[in-house]
Amino acid sequence: MEEKRVSRNKNIILCIVSAALLCLLLFPLYWALITSLKTEQEIFQNPPTFYPHLLNLKSYAAQVETGDFNMFRSFGNSFLISAGATLIAVVLAVPASYGIAKYHFRGRKMMLLGFLVTQMLPVSVLLTPMFIMFKNMHVYNTWVSAVLADATIGIPFSVLILKNYFSSIPKDLEEAAYLDGCNRFTAFVRILIPIAKPGVMVCAIFSFLYAWGDLAYGMTFILDQEKRPITAGIFNFMGQYGTKWSYLTAFAVVTIIPVALIFIFMQKYIVSGMTNGAVKG
Amino acid sequence: MNRIRKWFRYDNVGLLFVLPAFLYMILFVGYPIVRNVILSFQDVNAGNLVRGTKNFILFENYLELFKDNVFRTSLGNTLRYTVLCLVFQFLIGFALALFFNQRFALAKPVRGILLVPWMIPITVTALMFKLLFATDIGVINYLLRSLHLIDKNIEWLTTPGTAMFALICANVWIGIPFNMILISTGLTTIPKELYESASIDGANKLQAFLNITLPLLKPTIESVLVLGFIYTFKVYDLVYVMTSGGPVNSTHMLSTYSYKLSFEMFKYSKGSAVANVLLVILLVVGMFYIKITTKGEED
Repeated sequence: MEEKRVSRNKNIILCIVSAALLCLLLFPLYWALITSLKTEQEIFQNPPTFYPHLLNLKSYAAQVETGDFNMFRSFGNSFLISAGATLIAVVLAVPASYGIAKYHFRGRKMMLLGFLVTQMLPVSVLLTPMFIMFKNMHVYNTWVSAVLADATIGIPFSVLILKNYFSSIPKDLEEAAYLDGCNRFTAFVRILIPIAKPGVMVCAIFSFLYAWGDLAYGMTFILDQEKRPITAGIFNFMGQYGTKWSYLTAFAVVTIIPVALIFIFMQKYIVSGMTNGAVKG
Repeated sequence: MNRIRKWFRYDNVGLLFVLPAFLYMILFVGYPIVRNVILSFQDVNAGNLVRGTKNFILFENYLELFKDNVFRTSLGNTLRYTVLCLVFQFLIGFALALFFNQRFALAKPVRGILLVPWMIPITVTALMFKLLFATDIGVINYLLRSLHLIDKNIEWLTTPGTAMFALICANVWIGIPFNMILISTGLTTIPKELYESASIDGANKLQAFLNITLPLLKPTIESVLVLGFIYTFKVYDLVYVMTSGGPVNSTHMLSTYSYKLSFEMFKYSKGSAVANVLLVILLVVGMFYIKITTKGEED
């Protein structure tokens, strides 16, 4: 359902209302951004200032110079962990979703159900057993543990999303490839994956975002502050310095940067992932 | 050899494609779930975690939970929190979806930008709301003061009732985009002709909404609510960062209480038992979700 184009006057009113809604709903983000640019003194000023009267970039600069919590190193850790988890998720999920979409082997439905169920698991169920497992595997307190754990969020999501992409590709296309001398594996790699590329992008982006936002795994499986992801770093800093809001909000802004870039350049994939991941399953 | 070749000729090849991912999930998710169940029947603490004697005490951990006040509070909190969050994020999301369904110049770009809250790491969202609800410098207290609704700052996050309110606000903020975009997509699948013929028959907008929009959106609404329930019920990061279950355990959820038992008090088995209660509830609700999503399956 899409309604008829609205009249000119109504258009103006609706645009103003939507702009107001936007300001209201994104206010928390704006507030964090300007707080990171204020001096600590101005933050505690009453009444509060709604834009920084005195621009202060020290909260960002201080992190490069000294500090027991180096935000940029944590950023790097997060990036490494998220990229690793994304790689595992995509490499495993792409063939799996193709297998589920195109072949009717025994146990297919059971596996599909398994992926669906793992999507709704709470982290609490997995934390302790994973913790014991990673200790025994000697990857506890290394970035590997967070990569392995974060990939378990991306894989089921990706399988379920990509399954729809692969099943929408007509069988004739695959058969034409066989006639041209492809076998099942080369047809998959040369013909089907390129067609499903938008779906692969959605999976990569969401796997990355899930890993980037993770706190529980990074905090539980990695002990040393210098190896931890940025989310765990922020949490740690909150516990130690409580209300040093200029620093805290600077961390928040830096953590949002990759998310913002993904949003700006790949917005269509976000909408597709949010809707396909939920409704069709 | 022949039998192997024959096996490969059929659909079984598909199994080879799925197997790596499936085995990965069995190893890192399937096995931990089983391990967690076993753990909950044992008495494992910091002393005997990795090796050593692990005594089976069967249902003692679970029985203990029923006598545990904090567990009961956590269970009640999780339910209350989930239901309240769902109601508000659904209603606001629905209203926004209807609003942006009108064709005006900014409709699509603004709706797009409104998805941002959903993408932000929850730790950051928790931090931002902590700042908004801060006692001395918080904007919310400032607004209420300027409107003369309060004359003393409210200590939002350190007072039992208001801490829960702040958590719900933060969660609703995250959930609105999710509800909005799914309902928006659902709205686009309703054929326009239905509304045209309804208006020819003399139906007004409210009647059209009640008799066309709502019934045709039913599948969408079902998935949004069930999925929203699952996402909200397992809330962890948000509560852990904003209140850590405090003040005096008043905002503990099943997930945060489980974490506290396992990783702060090192009662691993009791923590596992709490996590399993959470899991069972999610699985029951999850069955509805599976029923909805597999309804339209090709086979």
